[in-house]
Amino acid sequence: MLEVKQVSKIYAGKIVYKALNDINFSVEDGEFVGIMGPSGSGKTTLLNMIATIDEPTTGEILINGRNPHRLKKEELAKFRRRELGFVFQDFNLLHTLTVEENIVLPLTLDGKKVKEMKDKAQVIAEKLGITSIMNKRTYEISGGQAQRVAVARAMIHVPKMLLADEPTGNLDSKSSKDVMEMLESINKNERATMLLVTHDPQAASYCDRVIFIRDGKFYSEIHRGSNRQAFFQRIIDTLSLLGGDGHDLSQIRV
Amino acid sequence: MTFRRFAFNNVIRNKRLYAAYFLSSIFTVMVFFTFAIFAFHPALAGSDMNSSVQRGMNIAAGIIYVFSFFFILYSMSSFLNTRKKEFGLLMMQGMSVRQIRLMVFMENMVIGFFATVGGILLGLIFSKGILLIAENVLVMNDALNFYIPIQALVITFVPFILLFFFISLFVSYVLRSRKLIDLIKGNKKSKGEPKANLFLTILAALLIGIGYAVALIVEGVAVIVALLPVVIVVILGTYLLFTQLSVYLIRKIKKNDNIFWKKTNMILLSDLAFRMKDNARTFFMVAIVSTVAFSAIGTLFGFQTFLTAGLKNRNPYTFSYSAVEQKEQDIELINRTIKEENMKAEQEQTMLHYYEIAQDSILIARESDFNQFASLLGEDTIDIKNGQVKVVEFTGNEFGQTEELLEQSIKLNSGVSLKPEEVIYSRALPATDSYYVVSDQDFEELPSPERENYYQAWQVTAGEENILSASEKLTEELSPGEFYAKDYDVYQLNKQYGLVLFVGLFIGIVFFVSAGSFLYFRLYADLDEDKQKFRSIAKIGLTEKELKKVLSRQTALLFFTPILVALIHGAVALTALSHFFYFDLTKISVVVLGVFLVIQIAYFYIVRFFYTKQVKTVL
Repeated sequence: MLEVKQVSKIYAGKIVYKALNDINFSVEDGEFVGIMGPSGSGKTTLLNMIATIDEPTTGEILINGRNPHRLKKEELAKFRRRELGFVFQDFNLLHTLTVEENIVLPLTLDGKKVKEMKDKAQVIAEKLGITSIMNKRTYEISGGQAQRVAVARAMIHVPKMLLADEPTGNLDSKSSKDVMEMLESINKNERATMLLVTHDPQAASYCDRVIFIRDGKFYSEIHRGSNRQAFFQRIIDTLSLLGGDGHDLSQIRV
Repeated sequence: MTFRRFAFNNVIRNKRLYAAYFLSSIFTVMVFFTFAIFAFHPALAGSDMNSSVQRGMNIAAGIIYVFSFFFILYSMSSFLNTRKKEFGLLMMQGMSVRQIRLMVFMENMVIGFFATVGGILLGLIFSKGILLIAENVLVMNDALNFYIPIQALVITFVPFILLFFFISLFVSYVLRSRKLIDLIKGNKKSKGEPKANLFLTILAALLIGIGYAVALIVEGVAVIVALLPVVIVVILGTYLLFTQLSVYLIRKIKKNDNIFWKKTNMILLSDLAFRMKDNARTFFMVAIVSTVAFSAIGTLFGFQTFLTAGLKNRNPYTFSYSAVEQKEQDIELINRTIKEENMKAEQEQTMLHYYEIAQDSILIARESDFNQFASLLGEDTIDIKNGQVKVVEFTGNEFGQTEELLEQSIKLNSGVSLKPEEVIYSRALPATDSYYVVSDQDFEELPSPERENYYQAWQVTAGEENILSASEKLTEELSPGEFYAKDYDVYQLNKQYGLVLFVGLFIGIVFFVSAGSFLYFRLYADLDEDKQKFRSIAKIGLTEKELKKVLSRQTALLFFTPILVALIHGAVALTALSHFFYFDLTKISVVVLGVFLVIQIAYFYIVRFFYTKQVKTVL
């Protein structure tokens, strides 16, 4: 599904800064992978490059065997909205639109039929339990609901891969749990490939596999196995080895 | 860091945010100052005709001042709106309302001071430019030269500093009532889509319809009587049109998923609805201000063409000489001057005979005389058989008593009475009234005339470039009642009228440019929000083409909706005006409105280019 080959990112400037250094990994179809690391380790840079928002300095990224960075700008935009789905820390919903309109936005841009869009929105809203707020505006709903709307928007066009950048970063622990359980169930039921960048060990514990990076370099990788609680503990352990105190890292929450 | 230092840094390190507000202020001052330079121009002080111009100028200055006040207040409040969140943050950090008011007050006074000074400097340059254009476009031979405008300086500087002072006071007072939570939520919350009321929507259509109907139906003096009520009705109608009808339409579209959910429509229309409250107000102001500009310029140009056309129509010949008796030395002088100025001219002369018919002195002309003058003018000659009479109406002069003449008959010496049969239109012979033409043979049999008048006309065929100088010489020598020079009269009219025309043109331009900048600032007030929005959408995947399409439509709607309404208003106003003059103003209206439309289109392309460029930086 996804192959990241010897990817490096260097920010030129007065002081040359190497954000990522020779990263290699791959993600199988239907896999749920987390990327963790301390602040400034290059997690978001990596995700942005996979999301085709940013370009690697060297190395290549293949999605389904294709390198999207070779596409022209126009095609790249279309590639993003057809093949990828995004969930952001700050939800990125348009506050001038209702919930339903936000969800169907990627489809309207592709000029789909209204009935088809309505049906799809209805189906996904039922799955995510947001049917009751479909006609509300974004400032009328809670953070947890907003993130579920964002997931619905990211999933409505059945993307090949869902990319989530700190999806629980702006949520309280209850909402975090809801959103992560929802992502997990989408992953299991729809066999959707997911890539998650997070600070939050709780959130990361829902993944099949977690990749740790530090200072732009690959650090280690752990697999979940059957028990989520045990996995959570191993994540905490790895994080404390990575540097700093394990529980420091989840202080990002507001 | 003292408080003063903080307020200062806040401005300096946040230049871009303040730039739009600063520019709109500086622009307003510039407009007013440039206007004041002309209003208090030494060339305008003095003579009688100019005192009425002066009065008009003072009234216009008042209007511009009031207008400036609202403009600055408006850009100020939209500027503060974008900073709600910042104020919320400062208050959360413990800044008291008093301190915020003090900060806003200080910022405003600094901006106001620099805007006033900057506006005056720019105004000096701008007015020089306007004067250069004026001298070249209008016939004004250094009537208005550049001067150091002490009076204008004072009259701009003092009121504007006061204006900024009062606005600063006023705004810092307004800030008081805001709740902290509203400030922190900032601009996320809709300012509220205005609700469309069906009754008011219908009323909008009705008011404009009635206004238009009345304006188009009335003729003559009734136009003046109907003017004020029509203007009020249409202004009200326009306000409702934008606040009600437009909202109503957008809601209708939004409810129709087939349109609203089509491609980029959703992004475009949802924003439009969201900003409708702000937009409606801007649209209204722009539409009215532009209509005033169109109408003012249209009226002045229309009036000028009306006068010029009348003058040209009445005197179709380059020179004409008309006197009770032919004075040899006058004719000699005209012919000599034509020769001296290297011109060639064809000429015709005759004795015009007037008879008393129906208690009026009516001209009866000989067929051959009429034909001579007609061919001099390039008109068709006529053929009149013996016993035939034709009534000639002077082309374009509908006030002649043609009908009356058709009723009358002409008695010849032989006792035969001739009855007119046909009316023809011509400009060949000079006449304010209509007249008869008879055949040469019948003419001989007319009784002796009540009075006679000598008439001679010259039509210049070569050396046209010297007509003006020749006319000037001749007009000085000959008595004004006897000698007419068409081109010189038109020139004189333009010269007299030039100043008035210039002032009108200037006011029109000022209003139109202000309307444009209204739109510009409206657009830029939303720039940050748009940037944020398109950044979000771009992450999901929005092609550059689609972005351009959305921005293009958004800008086009903003720029052309009010102008379209103003163009229609202006067209109706000018039609009403032509009914008042009984003079066809279609051509001049099309030209004036067309020029404005072209300027607006150019303005649209420029603004769209820069706006798109700005938004694209975040993608």
